[in-house]
Amino acid sequence: MQITTYQVLAPLISLIAILYAWNLWFRQKKTLWEVVLWTIFWGIVALIAIFPGVLAYVQLATGIKNQVNAILVTSIGILFFMIFYLVMRLEELEQRQTRIVRKLALRDQGIDDDISEV
Amino acid sequence: MRTIAVIPALNEATRVADVVTGALRYADTVIVVDDGSQDETAHAAQQAGARVLRHIENSGAGAATMTGIDAARRLGAEVIITLDADEQHDTNDIPLLLKPVLQHEADIVFANRFGRKNHIPFIRRLFNGLGNIVTFSVTGRWVSDSQCGFKVFGPRAVQDIQLRMSGFEFCTEIVREAVKHQWRIAEVPIKVVYSEYTLAKGQSFAHGIRTACKILLRSFLR
Repeated sequence: MQITTYQVLAPLISLIAILYAWNLWFRQKKTLWEVVLWTIFWGIVALIAIFPGVLAYVQLATGIKNQVNAILVTSIGILFFMIFYLVMRLEELEQRQTRIVRKLALRDQGIDDDISEV
Repeated sequence: MRTIAVIPALNEATRVADVVTGALRYADTVIVVDDGSQDETAHAAQQAGARVLRHIENSGAGAATMTGIDAARRLGAEVIITLDADEQHDTNDIPLLLKPVLQHEADIVFANRFGRKNHIPFIRRLFNGLGNIVTFSVTGRWVSDSQCGFKVFGPRAVQDIQLRMSGFEFCTEIVREAVKHQWRIAEVPIKVVYSEYTLAKGQSFAHGIRTACKILLRSFLR
Protein backbone atom coordinates (compact mmCIF):
# COMPACT_ATOMS: atom_id res chain seq x y z
CA MET A 1 0.00 0.00 0.00
CA GLN A 2 1.40 3.38 -1.04
CA ILE A 3 1.24 6.05 1.65
CA THR A 4 0.80 9.68 0.55
CA THR A 5 2.05 12.78 2.39
CA TYR A 6 -1.55 13.66 3.21
CA GLN A 7 -1.99 10.31 4.94
CA VAL A 8 0.95 11.11 7.20
CA LEU A 9 0.28 14.82 7.85
CA ALA A 10 -3.46 14.64 8.55
CA PRO A 11 -3.24 11.99 11.32
CA LEU A 12 -0.24 13.82 12.78
CA ILE A 13 -2.14 17.14 12.94
CA SER A 14 -5.17 15.29 14.33
CA LEU A 15 -3.03 13.70 17.03
CA ILE A 16 -1.58 17.09 18.01
CA ALA A 17 -5.09 18.62 18.12
CA ILE A 18 -6.39 15.75 20.27
CA LEU A 19 -3.41 15.88 22.64
CA TYR A 20 -3.83 19.67 22.90
CA ALA A 21 -7.52 19.26 23.73
CA TRP A 22 -6.81 16.69 26.47
CA ASN A 23 -4.07 18.96 27.78
CA LEU A 24 -6.67 21.73 28.09
CA TRP A 25 -8.92 19.31 29.94
CA PHE A 26 -6.15 18.45 32.41
CA ARG A 27 -5.63 22.17 32.94
CA GLN A 28 -9.42 22.50 33.49
CA LYS A 29 -9.87 24.84 30.54
CA LYS A 30 -12.18 22.49 28.63
CA THR A 31 -14.98 20.26 29.88
CA LEU A 32 -14.81 16.51 29.32
CA TRP A 33 -17.77 16.80 26.96
CA GLU A 34 -15.97 19.33 24.76
CA VAL A 35 -12.81 17.22 24.68
CA VAL A 36 -14.81 14.16 23.62
CA LEU A 37 -16.49 16.14 20.79
CA TRP A 38 -13.10 17.52 19.73
CA THR A 39 -11.55 14.03 19.82
CA ILE A 40 -14.36 12.57 17.71
CA PHE A 41 -13.99 15.33 15.10
CA TRP A 42 -10.22 14.98 14.72
CA GLY A 43 -10.48 11.20 15.02
CA ILE A 44 -12.73 11.17 11.95
CA VAL A 45 -10.26 13.40 10.07
CA ALA A 46 -7.43 10.97 10.89
CA LEU A 47 -9.55 7.94 10.07
CA ILE A 48 -10.46 9.26 6.63
CA ALA A 49 -6.81 10.08 5.95
CA ILE A 50 -5.52 6.65 6.97
CA PHE A 51 -8.39 4.66 5.47
CA PRO A 52 -9.74 6.67 2.49
CA GLY A 53 -11.85 3.61 1.75
CA VAL A 54 -14.29 4.65 4.48
CA LEU A 55 -15.40 7.47 2.18
CA ALA A 56 -17.01 4.82 0.01
CA TYR A 57 -19.59 4.38 2.76
CA VAL A 58 -20.21 8.13 2.71
CA GLN A 59 -20.61 8.21 -1.09
CA LEU A 60 -24.21 7.11 -1.00
CA ALA A 61 -25.23 9.88 1.35
CA THR A 62 -23.07 12.72 0.01
CA GLY A 63 -22.74 11.94 -3.68
CA ILE A 64 -18.95 12.35 -3.58
CA LYS A 65 -17.88 10.19 -6.51
CA ASN A 66 -14.13 10.47 -6.64
CA GLN A 67 -11.04 11.68 -4.81
CA VAL A 68 -10.95 15.08 -6.60
CA ASN A 69 -14.43 15.81 -5.29
CA ALA A 70 -13.32 14.64 -1.87
CA ILE A 71 -10.40 17.07 -1.94
CA LEU A 72 -12.71 19.91 -3.02
CA VAL A 73 -15.18 19.13 -0.25
CA THR A 74 -12.31 18.91 2.25
CA SER A 75 -10.96 22.28 1.06
CA ILE A 76 -14.36 23.92 1.43
CA GLY A 77 -14.58 22.41 4.89
CA ILE A 78 -11.21 23.86 5.83
CA LEU A 79 -12.23 27.28 4.46
CA PHE A 80 -15.40 27.18 6.55
CA PHE A 81 -13.31 26.24 9.53
CA MET A 82 -11.04 29.23 8.90
CA ILE A 83 -14.03 31.57 8.64
CA PHE A 84 -15.33 30.23 11.94
CA TYR A 85 -11.90 30.79 13.40
CA LEU A 86 -11.89 34.42 12.21
CA VAL A 87 -15.35 34.89 13.67
CA MET A 88 -13.99 33.65 16.97
CA ARG A 89 -11.08 36.09 16.80
CA LEU A 90 -13.57 38.91 16.19
CA GLU A 91 -15.51 37.72 19.17
CA GLU A 92 -12.38 37.86 21.26
CA LEU A 93 -11.94 41.50 20.28
CA GLU A 94 -15.54 42.11 21.27
CA GLN A 95 -14.83 40.44 24.59
CA ARG A 96 -11.84 42.66 25.11
CA GLN A 97 -14.02 45.72 24.58
CA THR A 98 -16.58 44.29 26.99
CA ARG A 99 -13.89 43.76 29.63
CA ILE A 100 -12.92 47.42 29.33
CA VAL A 101 -16.56 48.53 29.72
CA ARG A 102 -16.96 46.25 32.75
CA LYS A 103 -13.73 47.44 34.39
CA LEU A 104 -14.74 51.06 33.90
CA ALA A 105 -18.12 50.39 35.52
CA LEU A 106 -16.40 48.87 38.55
CA ARG A 107 -13.81 51.63 38.73
CA ASP A 108 -16.47 54.35 38.59
CA GLN A 109 -18.01 52.82 41.70
CA GLY A 110 -14.62 52.68 43.41
CA ILE A 111 -14.79 48.89 43.53
CA ASP A 112 -11.91 48.29 41.13
CA ASP A 113 -9.25 50.84 40.35
CA ASP A 114 -6.90 48.57 38.44
CA ILE A 115 -7.57 48.47 34.71
CA SER A 116 -4.05 47.44 33.79
CA GLU A 117 -5.17 43.79 33.41
CA VAL A 118 -7.51 44.58 30.49
CA MET B 1 -24.35 34.53 54.94
CA ARG B 2 -23.85 37.85 53.19
CA THR B 3 -26.31 37.85 50.31
CA ILE B 4 -26.20 40.23 47.37
CA ALA B 5 -28.73 40.45 44.54
CA VAL B 6 -27.50 41.32 41.06
CA ILE B 7 -29.95 42.77 38.56
CA PRO B 8 -28.77 43.46 35.00
CA ALA B 9 -31.01 46.13 33.48
CA LEU B 10 -31.51 47.76 30.11
CA ASN B 11 -34.12 50.50 29.70
CA GLU B 12 -36.20 49.35 32.66
CA ALA B 13 -36.84 52.71 34.34
CA THR B 14 -40.53 51.92 34.87
CA ARG B 15 -39.98 48.51 36.46
CA VAL B 16 -36.58 48.24 38.09
CA ALA B 17 -37.54 50.10 41.30
CA ASP B 18 -40.15 47.51 42.31
CA VAL B 19 -37.71 44.67 41.63
CA VAL B 20 -35.05 46.38 43.76
CA THR B 21 -37.52 46.96 46.59
CA GLY B 22 -38.62 43.33 46.46
CA ALA B 23 -35.06 41.99 46.36
CA LEU B 24 -33.97 44.19 49.28
CA ARG B 25 -36.31 42.22 51.55
CA TYR B 26 -34.09 39.15 51.15
CA ALA B 27 -30.65 40.51 50.19
CA ASP B 28 -28.24 42.64 52.21
CA THR B 29 -27.36 44.68 49.14
CA VAL B 30 -28.85 44.99 45.67
CA ILE B 31 -26.58 45.80 42.75
CA VAL B 32 -28.17 47.02 39.53
CA VAL B 33 -25.96 47.00 36.47
CA ASP B 34 -27.30 49.52 33.98
CA ASP B 35 -26.19 48.14 30.63
CA GLY B 36 -26.06 51.40 28.68
CA SER B 37 -29.74 52.35 29.12
CA GLN B 38 -31.15 55.33 27.27
CA ASP B 39 -33.72 56.06 29.98
CA GLU B 40 -33.61 56.74 33.72
CA THR B 41 -32.98 53.14 34.79
CA ALA B 42 -29.92 54.02 36.86
CA HIS B 43 -31.69 56.88 38.64
CA ALA B 44 -34.77 54.79 39.40
CA ALA B 45 -32.68 51.93 40.77
CA GLN B 46 -30.62 54.27 42.93
CA GLN B 47 -33.75 55.90 44.33
CA ALA B 48 -35.07 52.46 45.25
CA GLY B 49 -31.94 51.73 47.29
CA ALA B 50 -29.72 49.84 44.88
CA ARG B 51 -26.02 50.31 44.34
CA VAL B 52 -25.78 51.13 40.63
CA LEU B 53 -22.97 50.32 38.21
CA ARG B 54 -23.16 51.73 34.71
CA HIS B 55 -21.82 50.30 31.46
CA ILE B 56 -20.85 53.20 29.21
CA GLU B 57 -21.77 51.03 26.23
CA ASN B 58 -24.44 48.35 25.88
CA SER B 59 -22.52 45.08 26.28
CA GLY B 60 -25.20 42.43 26.73
CA ALA B 61 -26.95 40.63 29.56
CA GLY B 62 -24.01 38.28 30.16
CA ALA B 63 -21.51 41.13 30.51
CA ALA B 64 -23.84 43.04 32.84
CA THR B 65 -24.38 39.95 34.99
CA MET B 66 -20.63 39.32 35.25
CA THR B 67 -20.01 42.97 36.18
CA GLY B 68 -22.57 42.57 38.96
CA ILE B 69 -21.07 39.28 40.13
CA ASP B 70 -17.58 40.82 40.14
CA ALA B 71 -18.83 43.77 42.17
CA ALA B 72 -20.70 41.50 44.57
CA ARG B 73 -17.59 39.38 45.12
CA ARG B 74 -15.53 42.48 45.89
CA LEU B 75 -18.21 43.59 48.35
CA GLY B 76 -17.85 40.30 50.22
CA ALA B 77 -20.85 38.36 48.88
CA GLU B 78 -21.09 34.73 49.95
CA VAL B 79 -24.38 34.17 48.16
CA ILE B 80 -25.46 35.91 44.96
CA ILE B 81 -28.98 36.08 43.57
CA THR B 82 -29.43 37.06 39.92
CA LEU B 83 -32.80 38.09 38.56
CA ASP B 84 -34.33 40.05 35.69
CA ALA B 85 -35.26 43.72 35.98
CA ASP B 86 -38.55 43.47 34.09
CA GLU B 87 -40.65 42.01 36.94
CA GLN B 88 -40.90 38.69 35.15
CA HIS B 89 -39.68 36.98 38.32
CA ASP B 90 -41.51 37.21 41.61
CA THR B 91 -39.07 38.34 44.31
CA ASN B 92 -41.16 36.38 46.85
CA ASP B 93 -39.65 33.23 45.30
CA ILE B 94 -36.16 34.24 46.46
CA PRO B 95 -36.38 32.33 49.78
CA LEU B 96 -37.29 29.15 47.88
CA LEU B 97 -34.17 29.49 45.75
CA LEU B 98 -31.98 30.38 48.71
CA LYS B 99 -33.06 27.34 50.70
CA PRO B 100 -30.90 24.63 49.01
CA VAL B 101 -27.81 26.88 49.30
CA LEU B 102 -28.42 27.83 52.93
CA GLN B 103 -28.95 24.16 53.78
CA HIS B 104 -25.64 23.34 52.04
CA GLU B 105 -27.39 21.06 49.55
CA ALA B 106 -26.45 22.93 46.38
CA ASP B 107 -23.78 25.24 44.97
CA ILE B 108 -26.10 26.69 42.36
CA VAL B 109 -29.88 26.85 42.16
CA PHE B 110 -31.68 27.24 38.85
CA ALA B 111 -35.22 28.56 38.85
CA ASN B 112 -37.58 26.47 36.75
CA ARG B 113 -40.46 28.32 35.11
CA PHE B 114 -41.85 25.07 33.75
CA GLY B 115 -41.87 23.22 37.07
CA ARG B 116 -45.30 24.48 38.06
CA LYS B 117 -48.46 25.76 36.43
CA ASN B 118 -47.57 29.02 34.70
CA HIS B 119 -49.14 30.66 31.71
CA ILE B 120 -46.24 30.57 29.28
CA PRO B 121 -46.83 31.25 25.57
CA PHE B 122 -46.11 28.32 23.26
CA ILE B 123 -43.38 30.19 21.39
CA ARG B 124 -41.57 30.80 24.70
CA ARG B 125 -41.79 27.13 25.61
CA LEU B 126 -40.42 26.25 22.18
CA PHE B 127 -37.48 28.68 22.42
CA ASN B 128 -36.62 27.53 25.91
CA GLY B 129 -36.85 23.89 24.88
CA LEU B 130 -34.43 24.55 22.02
CA GLY B 131 -32.17 26.46 24.41
CA ASN B 132 -32.17 23.47 26.74
CA ILE B 133 -31.26 21.12 23.90
CA VAL B 134 -28.38 23.35 22.71
CA THR B 135 -27.18 23.68 26.31
CA PHE B 136 -27.29 19.92 26.80
CA SER B 137 -25.45 19.29 23.53
CA VAL B 138 -22.50 21.48 24.56
CA THR B 139 -22.37 20.74 28.29
CA GLY B 140 -23.69 17.19 28.59
CA ARG B 141 -25.91 18.32 31.47
CA TRP B 142 -29.69 18.64 31.26
CA VAL B 143 -31.20 21.61 33.07
CA SER B 144 -35.00 21.99 32.88
CA ASP B 145 -34.88 25.77 32.45
CA SER B 146 -31.33 26.61 31.45
CA GLN B 147 -32.24 30.01 29.96
CA CYS B 148 -33.87 31.56 33.03
CA GLY B 149 -32.05 34.54 34.53
CA PHE B 150 -33.26 33.81 38.08
CA LYS B 151 -30.53 31.91 39.93
CA VAL B 152 -28.78 31.65 43.26
CA PHE B 153 -25.05 31.05 43.53
CA GLY B 154 -23.66 29.51 46.70
CA PRO B 155 -20.23 30.32 48.19
CA ARG B 156 -18.36 27.85 45.99
CA ALA B 157 -20.02 29.08 42.80
CA VAL B 158 -19.50 32.72 43.81
CA GLN B 159 -15.80 32.04 44.16
CA ASP B 160 -15.38 30.01 40.93
CA ILE B 161 -17.65 31.60 38.37
CA GLN B 162 -16.12 33.38 35.41
CA LEU B 163 -18.35 34.31 32.48
CA ARG B 164 -16.88 35.25 29.13
CA MET B 165 -19.98 35.34 26.95
CA SER B 166 -21.57 38.77 26.73
CA GLY B 167 -25.04 38.12 25.37
CA PHE B 168 -27.86 35.76 26.31
CA GLU B 169 -25.44 32.84 25.74
CA PHE B 170 -24.26 33.39 29.29
CA CYS B 171 -27.09 31.22 30.61
CA THR B 172 -25.59 28.24 28.81
CA GLU B 173 -22.14 29.24 29.98
CA ILE B 174 -23.33 29.12 33.59
CA VAL B 175 -24.38 25.49 33.08
CA ARG B 176 -20.97 24.85 31.54
CA GLU B 177 -19.28 26.42 34.57
CA ALA B 178 -21.41 24.22 36.84
CA VAL B 179 -20.25 21.11 34.98
CA LYS B 180 -16.64 22.28 34.80
CA HIS B 181 -16.38 23.02 38.52
CA GLN B 182 -18.64 20.11 39.52
CA TRP B 183 -21.07 22.29 41.44
CA ARG B 184 -24.03 20.60 43.07
CA ILE B 185 -27.11 21.71 41.14
CA ALA B 186 -30.66 22.22 42.42
CA GLU B 187 -33.73 23.26 40.48
CA VAL B 188 -36.68 25.03 42.06
CA PRO B 189 -40.06 25.69 40.40
CA ILE B 190 -41.05 29.36 40.40
CA LYS B 191 -43.87 31.65 39.40
CA VAL B 192 -43.39 33.68 36.26
CA VAL B 193 -45.36 36.60 34.93
CA TYR B 194 -45.42 37.09 31.20
CA SER B 195 -46.96 40.32 30.01
CA GLU B 196 -46.97 42.06 26.65
CA TYR B 197 -44.13 44.14 28.01
CA THR B 198 -41.89 41.20 28.95
CA LEU B 199 -42.70 39.33 25.75
CA ALA B 200 -41.77 42.35 23.65
CA LYS B 201 -38.42 42.57 25.43
CA GLY B 202 -37.53 38.91 24.91
CA GLN B 203 -35.30 37.43 22.25
CA SER B 204 -36.58 37.27 18.67
CA PHE B 205 -36.32 34.06 16.64
CA ALA B 206 -33.33 35.43 14.69
CA HIS B 207 -31.65 36.46 17.92
CA GLY B 208 -32.24 32.98 19.32
CA ILE B 209 -30.64 31.36 16.29
CA ARG B 210 -27.66 33.70 16.53
CA THR B 211 -27.30 32.89 20.21
CA ALA B 212 -27.41 29.14 19.50
CA CYS B 213 -24.76 29.48 16.75
CA LYS B 214 -22.51 31.45 19.08
CA ILE B 215 -22.83 28.83 21.80
CA LEU B 216 -22.02 25.98 19.42
CA LEU B 217 -19.13 27.83 17.82
CA ARG B 218 -17.57 28.85 21.08
CA SER B 219 -17.99 25.43 22.52
CA PHE B 220 -16.29 23.81 19.53
CA LEU B 221 -13.42 26.27 19.10
CA ARG B 222 -12.80 27.02 22.74
